[in-house]
Amino acid sequence: MMAWKLLWRSWRGGQLALIFWSLVMAVVVVTAVALLADRVEKALVKESSHLLAADAQVRTSRAIPDDWLQRADDGGLKTVQMALFASMVYSGDNNHLAAVKAVQSGYPLRGLLTLAERPFVTTPEFFESVNHGPPAGEVWVDSRLLPILKMELGESLDVGEVTLRVSKVIVEEPDRGGSFSLFGARVLMNWQDLAASGVVQPGSRIDYRLLLAGEDSDLANYLAWLEPQLNSHDRLLSPDEAQAGIADTLVQGRRFLILAGSLGVVLAGIALALASRHYAAGQTAAVALLKSWGVSARRVRLLYWQQTFWLALVGSLLGLAIGWLVHESLVFLVRELLPVNLPQAGWRPWLVGLATGMLCLVGFALPALWHLPSLSPLAVLRRDVPVHPVSAMKRLVIGLLVIVLMLLWYSQSVALTLAILAGLAVTALAVMGPGWLLLNLARRLGNRAGSVWRLALANLWRRRGQTLVLLTGFAAAMAILMTLVMVRTTLMEQWRWQLAEDAPNHFLVNVAPHELDGVEHLLADNQLSSVGWYAMVRGRITLIDGQPPSDELVEQNNALRRELNLSWTDQLPEGNRVEEGLWWEGLDNFAERHGENVAPVSIEEDLASEIGVTLGSRLTFSVGGLTFDGVITSIRSLNWDTMTPNFYVLFPDGYLEKYPRIFMTSLYLPPEQKPFVNTLLSQYPTVLVIELDMVIERIRSMVTQVTHGLELMTLLILGCGVLVMLAAVKLSMAERLQESAILRTLGSTAQRILMVQSVEFGAQGALAGLLAAVGAELALFLLQRRMFEAPFGLHVELWLWGPLIGALLIGVLGVLYTRRAVNRPPLQVLGNLDI
Amino acid sequence: MIEANQLTKEVTTSEGVLRILDDINLTVADGEALAIVGPSGSGKSTLLGILAGLDTPSAGVVRVNGEDITAMTEEGRAAMRARYVGFVFQSFHLLPSLTALENVSLPLELRGDANATETARGYLDRVGLTARFSHYPRQLSGGEQQRVALARAFASRPKILFADEPTGNLDTVTGKTINDLLFQLNREEGTTLVLVTHEATLASRCHRRVTLRGGLLVGDEAALPGTPG
Ligand SMILES: Nc1ncnc2c1ncn2[C@@H]1O[C@H](COP(=O)(O)OP(=O)(O)OP(=O)(O)O)[C@@H](O)[C@H]1O
Ligand SMILES: [Mg+2]
Repeated sequence: MMAWKLLWRSWRGGQLALIFWSLVMAVVVVTAVALLADRVEKALVKESSHLLAADAQVRTSRAIPDDWLQRADDGGLKTVQMALFASMVYSGDNNHLAAVKAVQSGYPLRGLLTLAERPFVTTPEFFESVNHGPPAGEVWVDSRLLPILKMELGESLDVGEVTLRVSKVIVEEPDRGGSFSLFGARVLMNWQDLAASGVVQPGSRIDYRLLLAGEDSDLANYLAWLEPQLNSHDRLLSPDEAQAGIADTLVQGRRFLILAGSLGVVLAGIALALASRHYAAGQTAAVALLKSWGVSARRVRLLYWQQTFWLALVGSLLGLAIGWLVHESLVFLVRELLPVNLPQAGWRPWLVGLATGMLCLVGFALPALWHLPSLSPLAVLRRDVPVHPVSAMKRLVIGLLVIVLMLLWYSQSVALTLAILAGLAVTALAVMGPGWLLLNLARRLGNRAGSVWRLALANLWRRRGQTLVLLTGFAAAMAILMTLVMVRTTLMEQWRWQLAEDAPNHFLVNVAPHELDGVEHLLADNQLSSVGWYAMVRGRITLIDGQPPSDELVEQNNALRRELNLSWTDQLPEGNRVEEGLWWEGLDNFAERHGENVAPVSIEEDLASEIGVTLGSRLTFSVGGLTFDGVITSIRSLNWDTMTPNFYVLFPDGYLEKYPRIFMTSLYLPPEQKPFVNTLLSQYPTVLVIELDMVIERIRSMVTQVTHGLELMTLLILGCGVLVMLAAVKLSMAERLQESAILRTLGSTAQRILMVQSVEFGAQGALAGLLAAVGAELALFLLQRRMFEAPFGLHVELWLWGPLIGALLIGVLGVLYTRRAVNRPPLQVLGNLDI
Repeated sequence: MIEANQLTKEVTTSEGVLRILDDINLTVADGEALAIVGPSGSGKSTLLGILAGLDTPSAGVVRVNGEDITAMTEEGRAAMRARYVGFVFQSFHLLPSLTALENVSLPLELRGDANATETARGYLDRVGLTARFSHYPRQLSGGEQQRVALARAFASRPKILFADEPTGNLDTVTGKTINDLLFQLNREEGTTLVLVTHEATLASRCHRRVTLRGGLLVGDEAALPGTPG
C-alpha cells in the first residue's frame, strides 16, 4: 500500500518517467521480436509438415510391404498410401499424358487440399479446403487439363481401363512442391480405382509413397524400426529433411531478429541504468529523511524494492501490450511474405517479454538503487555525508552479466550469443574509435572558432564518455536505417534499370517438337518474336567420377535431386564466358582420349563449385533411363541480365540427338499484350509460361516489404537510442544547470546559452550522422558486390542527409529537453541544486 | 529526558584525528527548551545529531528517557527516533514531488496512522497554511516551506523536537514569525526542545542556553527570567 502511494507520488513528480519508458522499450523490442519469431517459426514448421502432406513420407518403387503398414498401425500411426505415375488419360478423341496420383481417402494427413468447382478461378471465395481425397469413381484435376481435353467439369475421363467423373479442379495440393511441374496435368484419383485401371503392371514405373502421421515419439520409434529395411532406392523424408531449406531461412531470420532485439535491449538497458542513477541521486534526501523519522533500513529497502517491482511489472505489462501492437504492424508490413493464416503465438514470447522487464530491473535499475537503504540519516544535518553507491565497475559487470544471460536465453545458443556480443563490441569499437578522433579534432577546431562553438565543443569533449555511448547507439541505428532505405529505393531501381527496356520478360518452356511450328505461327500472328528456339533434353546427374554423390551433397543441391535442362550448341552463347578450360574447338583429340561415347561437357561455374567438380571431372547423366558419361572440358560464367535462356550444362552438337527433346525460348511481351499468355495456354496447354515480369515484381515487393519491416525494427532501436540520450542529458542536468547559471551571472544572455546547447547537441547529431553514413556506405558496398552484382558508386545523398538529419534530430531533442535549465533564474539554481 | 555523559566525537581525516566534541556532559529536562549556541564549526550540529541518535559518539553515553541509545543498534536507534523524536532543519527538507499536505502526512502514513491526512490538515491549519494544502514546495516561499516543515515535525507528536538553525535560511522578519510559531506549538504540545542557533534573540527565548567552542562546552546558563516562550 505504502509502496504504491510512494510510487504514485514519484511518478506524478516525473522522476520515474525515463526509468519506466526505458523498461517498457526493452520489453516492447523483445516481445515484438519474440512474438514474430514464434509465429513465423510455427507457421514454417506447420508448412513443412504440409510439404509432405504428412509428418514423414517413405518413397519407394515397390508396393508398400504389408508389414510396414501393419507395424505403423500397431504403433499408433495414421497411414495413407499413394501411387504416382504418368499415364495417358482420354476424353473423347483427346488424350494427355497426365501426372496421376492415386490416394487413399485419408490423404492429406497434414495440410489441406484446396479445390474449386470452376476451372481457373483465382478468388479465394470460390475455394474449398478439404482434408480428404476424391471418393471412388471421381477424379479431381488441374484446371489446365480441361482445355487440353476439351472437356467440362462433370464429364468423364478414362484412366487406363476405368472411367471416372471429373468432379472438381485442384487449386492447391500441399505436397505439390513449390517448383513448376514441367510435366502432365495432375489427375487425383481414389486408391480403390487403381486396380481397375489396370495401370499397375509388372514393369510399369510407379512411385509408391507411404504417408505417416502421429505423435513424435511413436513416429520416431517407427522410423527407427523402418530405416534398416530401406534399400538404396527407397527414400525417407522426415520433417527435419523437408525443413532443411526452411531451417536455413529460419536461422538467418532468427539471427537478425535476436540481433536487433538485443541491440534494442542493450540501449534500453543503458538508458535504464542512467535514469536509475539519476533517480537514486534524487532519492538520497528522501531516504535520509525517512531514516531520521525512524524508518528502519529494512523497511526502506522493502519500500524501494516494492516500488521498483511494481513499476517494472506495470512497465512490462504495458511493454507486452505495445510489443504485441508492434509485432502486428510488423506482420502487416511483411504480410505477403508470410502465410495468410499465421498461427497464434504460444506463451513463450510473453514470458520472454515479461522476464526481460524483470531482468532489466535486476540488471540495470537495482544496482543503481542498491545503496539507498544504507544511507546515513545524518545527511539531513550535513551536506557532505558520503554516499557509497555500488561501484561503476560492479554495475557494469552486473549489467553485462544480465545481457549475456538474456542473450543465452533468447538464442539458446552459446555460439550465437558470443557472435552477437562480438558484433556489439565491434560496433561499439568501430564507432567509438573514429568518434573519439572526430571529437578531439572538433575540439581543436573549436578552439579557433567563436566562443559559442568553443564552449559547445569543449563541453562535448569534457563529457566524451557519455557522448561516445550516445554516438554508438545513434550511429548504429541510423546506419541500419539509411542502408535499408537505400536498398529499398536506389538499389532496387538500379537493379531494374540494368535490364534493358525490351529485354525478354517471358519464358516459354516445355514446347514439344510437334508444337514448334504452331507456336511460331501464333507468335507471328501476334507480332511477337522470340529470341530463337533452344532445344534441350531433361536428364539428371547420377554419378560423379563414378561414385554416387553423398547424401549430404544431394541434400544441399537441388541440381542433384532434380532433372536438369541439358542443351547443346557449337557456338558459345551470348553472355557466356569460358572461365576455365577450352570451348569445343579448342579440344584436341577428345574422342581419342576419352572414347567415342564420352561427351565433352561445359558446366556453369556456381553449379560446378556447389557439386564439387572441376575440369576433367567425369559426370554420368541419366536421360529417360539411358545413361552416358561426360567429362568437363570448360567452366562457364553466365550473364543472367540478358534474360535469354541459359543452360547450366552444355554439350557440343550431336551428342544428345537420340534423346526426346523439348524446346524453350524467351520473348518480350509488351504489357498491353499480356492476354496473349491465355491465348497461348488455351491452345497449347502443356506449354509452361514463366512470367518473368511477375517474378521481378514479386522480388521487388518482397525486398520492399522486408526492408519496411526492418525499418520499423530499426526505428524502435533508434527510439531506445533517444531514451539513452534523454537519460544521459538528465544525469548531466545538474551540471548543465549550474553551468548555465554561472554563465548567466557572468552576463551571458539566455539566447547565447541556448546557442551553445544547440551547437553541442547538433554537433553530436552531425557526428553520429557522419559515422552512420560511413557505415551505411560500407554496407551498401558489400550488398552491391554480393547480392546485386552492381558496380559501386558513392551515395552522395547519404553524406548530406546523414549529418543533417542527425544534427536536427539530436539538436532539437536535446535543446527541448535542456531549455528549462537555461530559462531558470540563476539564483534559484545556485541556491538549490537538487532538481 | 536526555542525558549525555562524557561525550566525545573524533573523526579521522587526511590530516589526522580531529576531535569535534570533547567531554560533553549535558542533561535536558522534560519539557525544557534548550538552546545550543556557538561559532560556526564549534560542533553544534554534531552534538545535536548524537543527542538525536542520528550519529554515535566516539566515547560517552546518551540516555533518552532512561535508555542508553549509544548501546543500541542502528535499528534500535531508528525505533527510538520513531517513538520520541521530531526534526526541523535549516534547509526545510521538504520532498519536492509531494504537496504540502502529503509532506506533512507522509511520516504519519509511514507509521500506519489511519487519520494521517486529517491530522496533517489540522497541523497545516495551525501553521496558517489552510489555503496551500495542494501546493508543491516550489510554489511556496521559504517561510511557508519552513511552516510546512514545522507542521510535519509536530504532527507526529514527538516528545523531543530537534531543530538545527530553523531560521538560518530565512530573512529576519520571516524568521521571527517562524520562531513565534515554533515556540507557540512547543508550548501547546509540551514538547522538549533542543535548538541549535546563531541568533541570540532566539536563544534567549529558551529556558536554558549552552555554548560550544571548539568542541568544548564552555557555558551553561539559564535564560533571563521572564523571557521564555
Ligand atoms: N564526519 C566528519 N568528518 C570530518 N569533519 C567533520 C565531520 N563532522 C564534522 N566535521 C567538522 O567538525 C566541525 C564541527 O562541525 P558541525 O557541523 O558540528 O559544526 P557547527 O557548529 O554545526 O557549524 P555551523 O554553525 O557552521 O553549522 C566542522 O569543522 C566540521 O567540518
Ligand atoms: Mg551546523
